[in-house]
Amino acid sequence: MLDKSELEEILRVAQRGSDFAEVFMERTESTRIGCEARQIERVISGREQGAGIRAVHGDNTAYGYTNALDKESLLQLAGQVSRAAQAGEVSPVALQRRESPVDLPVVRRPDVTPVEDKVALVREAEESARRQDEKLLRQVSVGYADTIQQVTIANTEGVYVEDERVRCRMSVNAVAAEGTVIQTGYDSIGGTRGEELFDGEKPAELGRQAARRALLMLKARRAPAGRMAVVLSGEAGGTMVHEACGHGLEADLAQKNLSVYSGKKGAQVASELVTVVDDGTLPGRFGSFRFDDEGNPAQKTVLIDQGGLTGYMYDHITAARDGVAPTGNGRRQSFQHRPIPRMSTTYLAPGETPPEEIIRETKSGLLVRHMGGGQVNTTNGDFVFDVPEGYLIENGEVTAPVRGATLTGNGPDVLKQIDLVGSDFGFSLGICGKEGQGVPVSDAQPTIRIPSLVVGGIIEEEIAEEGEGDD
Amino acid sequence: MTGRDLVNAAVDEARRSGAEASEAYFERSEDLTIEVRDGAVENLKVAQESGVGIRIIRSGCLGFAYTSDRSWPALREAVGAALANARVSSSDPFNNLPKPPAAYAVMNLADLRLKEIPLDDKIELARRIERSGRAYDPRIRITEQAAYEESHYQVSIANSLGVSASYEGSFCGGGASLVAGANGEQQSGFGIQYSRNYAELDPEAIGREAASKAVRLLGASRLSTKRAAVVFDPYVVTNFLAVLSSALTAEAVQKGRSLFAGKVGERVAAAGVTVIDDGALPGGLMSAPFDGEGVPSRRTVLIQDGKLAGFLQNSYTGAKDGLASTGNASRGSYKSTPELGSTNFYLEPGELTQEQIIKQTDEGIYLTDVMGMHTVNPISGDFSVGAAGIWIEHGELTTPVRGMVIAGNMLELLEGIDAVGRDLRFFIGKGAPTVRVARLTISGE
Repeated sequence: MLDKSELEEILRVAQRGSDFAEVFMERTESTRIGCEARQIERVISGREQGAGIRAVHGDNTAYGYTNALDKESLLQLAGQVSRAAQAGEVSPVALQRRESPVDLPVVRRPDVTPVEDKVALVREAEESARRQDEKLLRQVSVGYADTIQQVTIANTEGVYVEDERVRCRMSVNAVAAEGTVIQTGYDSIGGTRGEELFDGEKPAELGRQAARRALLMLKARRAPAGRMAVVLSGEAGGTMVHEACGHGLEADLAQKNLSVYSGKKGAQVASELVTVVDDGTLPGRFGSFRFDDEGNPAQKTVLIDQGGLTGYMYDHITAARDGVAPTGNGRRQSFQHRPIPRMSTTYLAPGETPPEEIIRETKSGLLVRHMGGGQVNTTNGDFVFDVPEGYLIENGEVTAPVRGATLTGNGPDVLKQIDLVGSDFGFSLGICGKEGQGVPVSDAQPTIRIPSLVVGGIIEEEIAEEGEGDD
Repeated sequence: MTGRDLVNAAVDEARRSGAEASEAYFERSEDLTIEVRDGAVENLKVAQESGVGIRIIRSGCLGFAYTSDRSWPALREAVGAALANARVSSSDPFNNLPKPPAAYAVMNLADLRLKEIPLDDKIELARRIERSGRAYDPRIRITEQAAYEESHYQVSIANSLGVSASYEGSFCGGGASLVAGANGEQQSGFGIQYSRNYAELDPEAIGREAASKAVRLLGASRLSTKRAAVVFDPYVVTNFLAVLSSALTAEAVQKGRSLFAGKVGERVAAAGVTVIDDGALPGGLMSAPFDGEGVPSRRTVLIQDGKLAGFLQNSYTGAKDGLASTGNASRGSYKSTPELGSTNFYLEPGELTQEQIIKQTDEGIYLTDVMGMHTVNPISGDFSVGAAGIWIEHGELTTPVRGMVIAGNMLELLEGIDAVGRDLRFFIGKGAPTVRVARLTISGE
């Protein structure tokens, strides 16, 4: 890629007429493997490169990108995004290399690992899943992906960062069928690390979990519908805190008054048991990074402290607008996108109640042991999640597994309601989508109890219409 | 090198390197996005992107590699990587590439004047979207987004059996997402319109639609749980069509993940329900002369008057089923292998207006928003989604509702359709009219 003095020259052109300009160059190498129906169906490798340049003036951002990484192309792009017509004074740019206190070591790089070894990991997961029940498992699919993203970030404030992000991920989807009932089970692992992520027979464990879930749901009864207490197990991970709370604490949404948490800094927005943190520095996590995509080091940011809103997640633009320092949350999917405030690893901090006690203290309700996907309307805080592994709680005991449950509620309402917070802690991960950009994230939480949530299920016809029946 | 030269050179290189069959797919796009807020341009984005994807078949094994670098060394490296990947994948006798057809349809997919329209006019179009939305009702307080967007693209494909073809196209569109507020409550609504023809865009209609959708949900509450009729807004129907379109692919059937497996010729929906995929639909945003493998696009009836007529096919699934490809090989981009997907996928309109359908509904919900469509189980068809809309009593729209859950099963839903509107509307690749389902569980308090 280009050297410092060339970048300085490009920045000077992009900055004409604007307050701030930035160049983001990227080279990404990736491998994806797909296994389905016992076949290694897809083995894909690719290289992609490009640069994005932005010029920011007040509330206006011009962004351009191209696949070309040569100086001429980037000078041309810089001219396109600049406000050359309004050209004023241009101050010289002196780039200074930045370091990050965050260390994310990689033991075995994916680019030097033979593709045969990666295929063997996929096979390990596939076979382990199949072994759970050769008869009832109708389908097992495994996806593997690794990426090495090399970036150079430079801006007119002198920031100069060179970084490499290495990530690996694997997921297993199992389908079990018996009679007319078909159920699925899913599990995934991922990290900002190399192939060592899969050490210790992790793929086999992943396959077992996915298959176990599909098989368990075959035996499950339909989830009850209505309002009830919901206990989210720590092992379910923090999808709920990510969706129901995290998005509303991203500064862009808050500043535009599009968040239920807009203008609530200092206010009590949650139960005193609730502390929510975003931390991009956790070792090896899927949502971790040394630098965000604007060249700011990842950091730990307390968002809600014992129920009080203490801060938001900021990128460069939103931080300047609020007159605060960026929190290292300016992220983008790739050079094709401008950075916006995004989460890294978001978690609800553990409390003091042993998880067993939370269940014992719940007379009746739903226990969620694995969380599915969710969606949130940040404007009003409404959310929906599905529950791929749920159980009934009856008289303080976990009883029958149930399927087809969804949780519907309102983020701020749930945070205020939480009345028990466990001493355990569990992680989950995923690709979070916002404004058409996907970025890797993780989330975590302890076991928590929400006294009253709407669980969507199916009302059996005879109950709804005749008021009888006992299913 | 032009796209056409590039794909031909890549196929030659693959042949020299020992691939039995090979294919190269080139894509180039140029995009413009303008987002305005409070009358000023907030974000302006100009983009240029291109790349090539190479697919190799060797001893029945498939390998794929892509590169965004159009230089000759990068192309050779990608061919080498695709060959290496073929060495570790499983052999499958149904892996095949299509032969060249007699001819491709000539389609007019590009608005040649689009690039000549000055940037300032396009900025003004985005502003008009916002202005009309803000003027619609004093309770419209925030612009989440008001945008104009356009895209120009070029595609070239070549394979070792002699396929060699190209096309280019463009489309433009506008969208708005506006927030209404009253009594400490906020609700959002959106409006969008896309077209191949700039002159067809109606910015005022986009703004008004977003505003009216936001305002009508203000004051929404949660009602008690009941079973009642559900009148689906066309946009909500297209959300369900997205699930339906993947269940209606031969791939889903062959892999045991379709609720329609083994049901060809059987009744799977109420009489009057006809579902079509048409890759050659005039004016369709997903129309193209050929699919992601170079197979000519065509019209395929999937559900005919309630009966399952067949599935979407590409060359691989077609070979496996002993059927022809329906021209539904789809590519996310040059970075992905051709998979199976819908093009312009729609529910054929009926006779009634939306007003008539609501008039004929004694009690139920006019469903305008759903959340959590990703939770629909594509295999069992079970769904349970968050719902918002307007309650219907005695044929009249009454009070807005939100935070409800609608649960059921896709087949139950299709069989329960008892009214299909005439108001077919496309949202990019999916189109539907208003539809009523006689009874579904609507959970609330």
